[in-house]
Amino acid sequence: MMTPLFLLEPIEGPLTSLLEWFHNTGGLSWAWSIVALTILVRVVLLPLTVRQIHSMQSMQVHMPEMKALQQRYKDDKQKRNEELMKFYKENRINPAASCLPILFQIPVFISLFFVLRDFDDEVFPKYQEMGETVADLHWLNLVPDITAPANSHWSGYMLLALYAISQTLSTLLMSQTMDKTQRTLLLILPIAFLFVVLNFPSGLVLYWVTTNLWTVGQGLITRRLMPKKTTEPVKRSSRTPAKEEAPVAKPEPAADAVAKASQPSGPPRRVKRKKKRAKR
Amino acid sequence: MIARLPVYVGLGLVYAYRYTLGALAPASCKYHPSCSQYALDALRTHGLLRGSILAGWRILRCNPWSHGGVDYVDGQRLFR
Repeated sequence: MMTPLFLLEPIEGPLTSLLEWFHNTGGLSWAWSIVALTILVRVVLLPLTVRQIHSMQSMQVHMPEMKALQQRYKDDKQKRNEELMKFYKENRINPAASCLPILFQIPVFISLFFVLRDFDDEVFPKYQEMGETVADLHWLNLVPDITAPANSHWSGYMLLALYAISQTLSTLLMSQTMDKTQRTLLLILPIAFLFVVLNFPSGLVLYWVTTNLWTVGQGLITRRLMPKKTTEPVKRSSRTPAKEEAPVAKPEPAADAVAKASQPSGPPRRVKRKKKRAKR
Repeated sequence: MIARLPVYVGLGLVYAYRYTLGALAPASCKYHPSCSQYALDALRTHGLLRGSILAGWRILRCNPWSHGGVDYVDGQRLFR
């Protein structure tokens, strides 16, 4: 009905219902309903994220060895990657990145794109009959109409700037274990994508900004969770807890525990380097 | 050439993913080669149907509960 991609209908239906629920029952404006929906999606994905955070922790613990590996094979990219992957396997490290959670978000994103694109045809007329007008489609009184393309109003450019900033930040936070060229590419791409995103409905950019900011927040919590001092034997601590604690643990309590246990200040980057030196 | 057409469609889809949404997601794969590369290899060597199954199975394995590692299409044991 809504899209040529009929496969997405099972996702679009619930997304539309949720959006309407946030608007009707939650009493949120349409724009804030999008934000709420985005946050809901990310909360649903949280169990996966907690896993990723744990695996990132063990990655951090093994960083010196991995750096050494990378140094040894720095001229042969292929060989280096292979050795690195073997190392992950031997030490039972679960590299933070994995394709499934990413792919999981793609249908949601595409569905949301169609839901928002068709919003003024499929959803809004119903509400117009109930007395709503285009004026109800604003966001913070800045963006007049979240269904209009982002480049149709100056506020859209503000959203696009927010998108670029949040995208860059999330990339910076999430790609610490990546090699430099890949990272540079990922940092440049959002700028290139700006030209595509220009024509997207502002509401969709709003979704993208929200999800990026969530990623940034997650990244910041993750950084605090990174083991600052390894008092436990490295191998044991990296292996079992990551597997067994994950389903129970939530990021917040753990963050508190770490914050209480260690000195509150100092950027994690520096601490990481200190740890490396102490080991050698 | 015409018999290979479905494969090219599959390859095109993977490339489309790579240059659009794949590039937007600030994360990479835990396997070597990456899932998209694996998909390309699988499609080239096993055709659209088997290649898609292999790629799909690989993506399912590329989850937060697996450990990643070196995994080439040649090493697959689904189709022998």
